[in-house]
Amino acid sequence: MKKLIIALLVCGLVFGLGFGKITLNFWHAMSGSRLGTVEAIVNAFNEANPGIEVVPQFTGSYAETLTKAIASVRAGNPPHIVQVYEVGLQTMLDSNAIVPLYEFADPDYDFGGIIAPILDYYTVNGKLYSMPFNSSTAILYFNKELFEKAGLDTTNPPGTFAEIMEAGKKLVDSGVCAGGISFGWPAWIFEQMHSYHGFFYSNNENGRTGRSTEVFFNQPFGVDVMAEWIRWAQAGVFLYGGREYDANQAFLTGQIAMLIQSTSSVGSIEAKANFPVGTTFLPRLEGYPRGNSVIGGATLWTMKGHSDEEYDAIWKFYEFLTRTDMSTKWHKETGYFPSTNDGVKKLMNEGWFSTNPNHLTAFLQILSGQKMPESQGVVLGNFVTIRDIVDSAVETAVQYKGSDPEKEAQRILDEAAAKTNQVLKDYVMMFGE
Amino acid sequence: MQRRFPNRWMPYLLLLPSLVVVVVFLVIPSIQSVYLSFFRMSPFGDKMFFVQWQNFQNLLTSKDYLGSLWVTLVFAVCVVGLGLSLSMLLAVLLNQKLRGLYFYRTLLIWTYALSPAVAGVIWALIFSPSSGPFNYFLKLLNISPINWMTTPSVAVLIIILAATWKMLGYNIIFFLAGLQAVPVELLEAASIDGATAVRKFFRITVPLLSPTTFFLLIMNMLYAFFQVFGLIDVMTKGGPGNATEVLVYKLYKDGFVHFNTGLAAAQSVLLFVFVAVLTVFQFRFTEKKVFYS
Repeated sequence: MKKLIIALLVCGLVFGLGFGKITLNFWHAMSGSRLGTVEAIVNAFNEANPGIEVVPQFTGSYAETLTKAIASVRAGNPPHIVQVYEVGLQTMLDSNAIVPLYEFADPDYDFGGIIAPILDYYTVNGKLYSMPFNSSTAILYFNKELFEKAGLDTTNPPGTFAEIMEAGKKLVDSGVCAGGISFGWPAWIFEQMHSYHGFFYSNNENGRTGRSTEVFFNQPFGVDVMAEWIRWAQAGVFLYGGREYDANQAFLTGQIAMLIQSTSSVGSIEAKANFPVGTTFLPRLEGYPRGNSVIGGATLWTMKGHSDEEYDAIWKFYEFLTRTDMSTKWHKETGYFPSTNDGVKKLMNEGWFSTNPNHLTAFLQILSGQKMPESQGVVLGNFVTIRDIVDSAVETAVQYKGSDPEKEAQRILDEAAAKTNQVLKDYVMMFGE
Repeated sequence: MQRRFPNRWMPYLLLLPSLVVVVVFLVIPSIQSVYLSFFRMSPFGDKMFFVQWQNFQNLLTSKDYLGSLWVTLVFAVCVVGLGLSLSMLLAVLLNQKLRGLYFYRTLLIWTYALSPAVAGVIWALIFSPSSGPFNYFLKLLNISPINWMTTPSVAVLIIILAATWKMLGYNIIFFLAGLQAVPVELLEAASIDGATAVRKFFRITVPLLSPTTFFLLIMNMLYAFFQVFGLIDVMTKGGPGNATEVLVYKLYKDGFVHFNTGLAAAQSVLLFVFVAVLTVFQFRFTEKKVFYS
């Protein structure tokens, strides 16, 4: 009994202290060194706004965070802000559980200041539904030390699929490392390849002009990419490294000399690598048109069911995140894009990019690409399931040992496309056209 | 008959807490699963359609589901078979009078004290393709390293080994307890009659251990079907391809990653039916061979 009273008193004290403050629950999926940066930014906000207390909570991986958010909505007790990855875009739009950003954002806020490809990705039917937070794209990392050992030119890293194969063979044959290249997020890299060469991944302009009902990745371009990957694997150049960040380990330990991975790993790779790291644009498959690499990462979604005062406070928090000093801090410590053009300008003026050239690669890549609907980013219903289907397809493909990679790639992708189309059909049945 | 309780409501009152737990955490969710398995639901649960048997039909005609069922069966048979035979052997060895017996016993039993996540991390680290000690030793022996992330058969094998290893401690404890019940006189009598150690083991120890073995058979099967989630989530996430996607893992993925609640509910109903049928079969046919002294 005594314990109970003490517990109640402690609770009362804690809540009593917080009385009069607006508390905002912010669920995010930023683990590792990113966790510290998120907390530092939130603390800075709380100090600058004594009437508001943002409570950040790490809720596991992106998928786990979304699961928890859904459970909380069903239980009628949603947090205020949830970080949702880009593949959850359609799910959130159709959720009936969110407040679109444009409904409570300050109408005078200049969204033109946000970096264009980021704004494009998350703009649906001309409107912005969620607040851009951590955006990245994929680039090619390479190990300069191993390149030199294998007699490769570190100032002229591979730029095409053919050059990757050539460099990879040199690396493997000279015995400096076990494999040439690996990827993180294989399905995402497959999507990247489509946008990077100006191809749609699915119909209705990647689901931007209407719901997608059919994917295009089993068409000749997708088959060509997959067949090349099979050839890399057969030559021992491609070493499969898992679905998320597992391949980073192989790169850091010198097992492979090239890695296609999200820019959000720049910070951690540079910090952990005991060799000079180089970065360059994604390799191109020759003979195909030019597009642009696509944005990945996550945005902040605002949940329904809170008071107007709380929405005002949420907006203040979002605005704070785009402040130049905050977005540059975010970029420097993680490798994610700063969300605003002012942030980029400040970084340039500070000379950040000349001392940290690997942080510049992604900007140059994404700003030098073609702006076209093909590279705006794919929006699919049940996208998480579809990523999973494509990941499995890549995993199956790179095990192929036979003599006809084209045919095998076609077969695997046809099967994956049939499954995906069924998923899309189910989604349309649920939510209508 | 003597009344044991002064008040006739007393026993029910005492039972109440466990009954409440069982009803709230087992019975109600099970009924809900059966109900949900006839619906298709939007991720946030704001839309629901009655689809009759559609979820079941989709599952039973889906190549992925049947593949997952096959993986689960192979996995369960291997984990149960390997686990029981290995742990019985180890238990018999541990039942001897050895120096440092407690030390060995502790070492062999503590695997059960590890959480599945920790066990998964240990195995994943050992077999990590780039930095694991296993591949390092292979390299020392001039054997090219194995990348179990891309080789389905190797991945399945390692998951089986890890799952067996994890359950080893539990099995050994029960076998050791069972061995205490094997009368020494019987073994001595057999020795006097000139029976070899192998013969004594198969003719006396194994039959007398059969109640324990039968109990462990059921427990290990339940383990192989339901409790390997943690290991798989940490080690392979069901990959490469769908090579290690056992039924529980597929259920989790469909329900909590893909948000297909109806389909996941249907899977849980089917899984329940499979295990129930298997258990009934085991009671029917295996129990006959069990010797209760």
